[in-house]
Order: sequence, then C-alpha cells, then structure tokens
Amino acid sequence: MRTPSVAIPPSAAGYRRALAWVLTAALGAAGAVGLTVQERALAQARVQATAQATPQAQTNAGTPAGPAAGSAGTAPPSPALNPNPVPASVMAHTCAACHGTNGQLGDEAFKPLAGMPVQQFVRTMIDFREGRRPATLMGHVAKGFTDADLQAMGEFFAAVAPLVDGTATHKATP
Amino acid sequence: MNTEPSLLSRRDWMSSALGLLAAAAAPSLAFAQTRARIVVVGGGVGGATTAKYLKLFDPSLDVTLIERAPVYLRPYGSSEVLNGHISMRDLEVRYDTLRDRYGVRVVIDTVTALDATAREVRTASGQRFGYDRLVVSPGIELMYDAYDGYSEAVARSRVPCAWIPGEQTALLARQLQGMRPGGTFVLAAPPNPYRCPPGPYERAALMTEWFQRHNPTAKVIIVDPKDSFVTDETMMLGWNRLYRFNLPEDYEKKIAAKVEVLRHASPGMLSWVRGKEGGRTLRIDARRMTIEIEGGVIRADVINVIAPMRAGRLAATMNLADSSGFCPVERRTFASTRVPHVHVIGDASIADAMPKSGFSANTQAKVVARAIVEELAGRPAPEPLWENTCYALAGSDYGLFVADVFKIVDGKIARINGASRYLPLDASPAQIRLCARYQQAWLRTFTQDCFA
Repeated sequence: MRTPSVAIPPSAAGYRRALAWVLTAALGAAGAVGLTVQERALAQARVQATAQATPQAQTNAGTPAGPAAGSAGTAPPSPALNPNPVPASVMAHTCAACHGTNGQLGDEAFKPLAGMPVQQFVRTMIDFREGRRPATLMGHVAKGFTDADLQAMGEFFAAVAPLVDGTATHKATP
Repeated sequence: MNTEPSLLSRRDWMSSALGLLAAAAAPSLAFAQTRARIVVVGGGVGGATTAKYLKLFDPSLDVTLIERAPVYLRPYGSSEVLNGHISMRDLEVRYDTLRDRYGVRVVIDTVTALDATAREVRTASGQRFGYDRLVVSPGIELMYDAYDGYSEAVARSRVPCAWIPGEQTALLARQLQGMRPGGTFVLAAPPNPYRCPPGPYERAALMTEWFQRHNPTAKVIIVDPKDSFVTDETMMLGWNRLYRFNLPEDYEKKIAAKVEVLRHASPGMLSWVRGKEGGRTLRIDARRMTIEIEGGVIRADVINVIAPMRAGRLAATMNLADSSGFCPVERRTFASTRVPHVHVIGDASIADAMPKSGFSANTQAKVVARAIVEELAGRPAPEPLWENTCYALAGSDYGLFVADVFKIVDGKIARINGASRYLPLDASPAQIRLCARYQQAWLRTFTQDCFA
C-alpha cells in the first residue's frame, strides 16, 4: 500500500464545513446556559413531543438504507439543526457499544470512559471535534455534540467507578 | 398469567391531570404487586439490549424476553466464517448473563399471535404473556421468492443466502473454500433497504483476499441492482490497493481528485457490475448454476444471493408493518403508529436516515428503554439521540467505517454530525490498520453491551 501523495485541495465543501463550525460553536455556547438542568430539558422535550404529533401522520416508508445518502452536496448537518438538549445519560449510553456499558471496559482496544476526569473528557472530545487530535472515527462522532453536551457526558462518566478487576459489574444508573 | 390490565396501564387511559395524581401514587402501587410488565419479543441485538437496559434503568420492572432459539448466532462479523477466520461456534451468544445478572426472564418459545386489545402475546407452546408495554425486535425476513428460480429450499441446498447466520453460512463456507481452482464466485447484492449496508461488499472483499492466497485464478463478481453503496469510495479504494481492482471511471475521477488511484494493466479477480451496467438479478438456475442479470447470464461455481429483505415475519403477524414491508414508528419513542403500547426497533423499523445495522438497533433499544421507564413513571420521554458506527473490512488488515450521530430534525431522524461520515480517503496506512483492529475489538465490546 502506498502513502497518498496528492494533497486534498481546499474545496467548496471545506468552506461550508467551516461555516457550519462557526454556527455550531456559536449556538453551542449560547445553549450552554442552563442546559445542565434536566427539568428544563424535559420541559422542552414535552413541547417538542406536542409539536411532532402532526407530521407523524406522514409515512416515512421507503427510506433507503442510504447508499450515497450524505455524499450528495447537501448542507452539512450539525447539532444546531436540533438544539434541544438531550439528557446526559441518553447521550452517554450511545458510547457503550465500543466503550462499554456505562463507559466501563476491561482489556479492550477502546478507552474506558468510566471515572475519567470531566475536563479530560471534554478537552479530548473538543480536540477530536476540531481536528486537533488524530482519530479514526472519533472526529466524526464528536461533531454530533456541543460543548454543553460534552460537559454533561463528561460529568456522567466521571461519576461512574472505573473497572479495577477487568470484569464489569454494571449497577443500575439513573 | 394475569391478563387483567394493571393499575399502571389503566393510568395511561386517564387525562393528563389524573395522570399526575396517578404518578404521585405510583411508588406505593409498585409495592402492591403491580410491577410494570414489559415483554420483549426477539432476542437479537435490539431485543437483548432493550431487556438489559430496562433492568439497568429500573431494576423493579418485570422484564420478559421471548426468543425462539436458545443460542443466538450474531450476524455482525459472520462473513468471517466464510474465510475461516472464525468458526460457526464463535458466532454463538447466550442469554445466561441477561437472566443471571440482570434478572431478565428469558423464555425460549415462538410468539404466534398478538392480542392488542387484551395486551397479551401468545406462543407456540400455548403460553400467554400480558404486558403494559411490548417491544418487538423481529429483525429481517429474507424474500427468497423475489427472484425467479430462487426459494428457501434452493438457498438451503445449492445457492445459499446466509444473511442470517446458520446452516446456510456453513454451507456457503464449504462451497467457497472447496471451489474448483479458477472457479467463479458470484455475489448478488440486495436492493435497498437492507441489513448491514457495507456487508455484501465486505463479504466479497474477504473472499477475494482468501482466494488470492488459496485459489489465485478464481473470479469474484458482485452483481448489484444499485449504482452506489454506503462506504463505496473507501471500500473500492481498498480493493484498488489490495486486489488490483480498477474503479469505475466516475468513481476513479472523484477519488483521484483527493488521493492517488492505481490503474492496473492486468486487473485482479474482483469486479462489480452495477445497476446501470445491468447488475440487477432476474433469475437463478440452481441446476445449471447460472445467474441471469439484466446484462446477461453468468455461469458460476458458487452463487451467494443476498435476497431482498423486509421486516421479520413477526411484524406482519402482529400487523406492525405497512405496505413497504417495514414498520412505521413514532420517532421519539419508536412506538408503533399502528398498534398502541407496542414499540418496534431494529432493522424492522422505519428509522429515516438510520441504517439497518446492529449499532442502530442497539442505540434505538436504549432510547426505547428510557422512554418506557419515563412514561410508566408519568414523565414524558426525553429528547432522543442515536448513533451508528459500521466498521467494515476491505481486507483483514484494511478497516474502514461509517460513523453517524442522529437527532430528530423537523420530525424525522436525521444525521447531525457534519458532512463527513467515512474514513478519509487520505487516511494513513496506520489509521487503516487501526480501523481493522477496532473492527475486531468492536465485535467483542458490542456483544458485551448488548448481551452481558
């Protein structure tokens, strides 16, 4: 296998992405105020649920599993598309498929998240998101979360005890 | 089994104001032998994850998982049986941990009917299970009859499908590894939508790699009704580097703008016949071992037909599927829009931008488990978020992926994590190898998160 010798030219897509970043960052910062209060999240959720009752009648049938979906030149999506806060645990449990239930992981290739200091989690994820830290797919995943999201997830994982004996003993979590 | 509606379920019928009162009373009711009963049907990724996380979120719930097979064979990574990297036994997953550690009641039985009015499911052995909430994760049904000359009987004997692992997987492995020197292997890729979008192409790649070592004059032909597929650019770039695969011109042009693409004077054994080149399958002749596609007839030594798919048979039995063959759901909770108090998750559900993958089913399961716990407690289901990662291999040491984060946008499930979702085309050799290592690790960590 050869190392690619052609550099990626700056493309229109790149500029669009950059613009989306600015938007995301701005909205993320604005949304950070008070986002940690779960009641507020749930209240917003209630509003959203009511608002969704109507379009639900539309069928979502026939959606392809998505070949080339997203490869078309549509505007890049970002968390700004739906700034409604998601409870920390709902976000955190999406990490578990690789990083273990509740972030608890034994001797695997992925980083255990349980017990990680909040600032370490947040800084690492922001570095992934901004492309400052080399990654395989974490850069893509991190782009789905605002600073406030990352803070909330960081607090969730910091509160979970890391594994010491390499065997998970998952306890009930809120 | 008690089939009376429980106090908790009766609460659902009350107005929201009364609902609040009932919620206040719920803790005492919980002790009066009215633990909410959740029945989960289907012990695959979606069902197992739902059962586990329901008990994690609320250990007091009465959770029953009904699955027809005592041992689950994981479909993800099952193409690695074909190249002998693992054995059939390595696919086995058991339900012991769900039962012993989490207190899930595991029932091995076949669900035969749903009585939505009485809120109960019935099984082949005559048992009845009443529920306050039912979660159905039926997976896929393979439509063997979609092509002339193809049927389940043909798939079991001569032309396996092997998209749900089992005896057909073992049969296909024997056929491929025993193929005559210089023989032709045809893999018929399915139309959208289907389970595991990169899967057919990974399977073809792994067999090409195996043939290069063990049957170097063999041919591998992918026939495809589609003109593109998820991870197509990164997958084919891998083929270009590993198997002397020449990319279709349009792809080559697109990719060469970003990274060097090789033009092989003597192309390798792998080829891809797209829809626009007549790749759509029309007919299988198992006796002559030919496959007819729009572009002509191919004589083969081994044919693997990945049949078109719809929601698992249970979805039709329970009246959960619409005319598309899949199950419409309310996005926030994956509650069926057709049958109340029933949620449908995984490949069977219509989830907009989410691919039909194990990872999708896993995060849908957690969203549903959370929604059920909140709603039973009289609180609204929270704002959901889902992820999907499909790792795939272009070769044993050549990994790639698609990685997505989803939220509800304008009433539909949409990607929210930026324009790029694939391994960058200019990824370094180290990153590519690392993806292959992560793919192998993920098979373990994912199974643990679902079943242990």
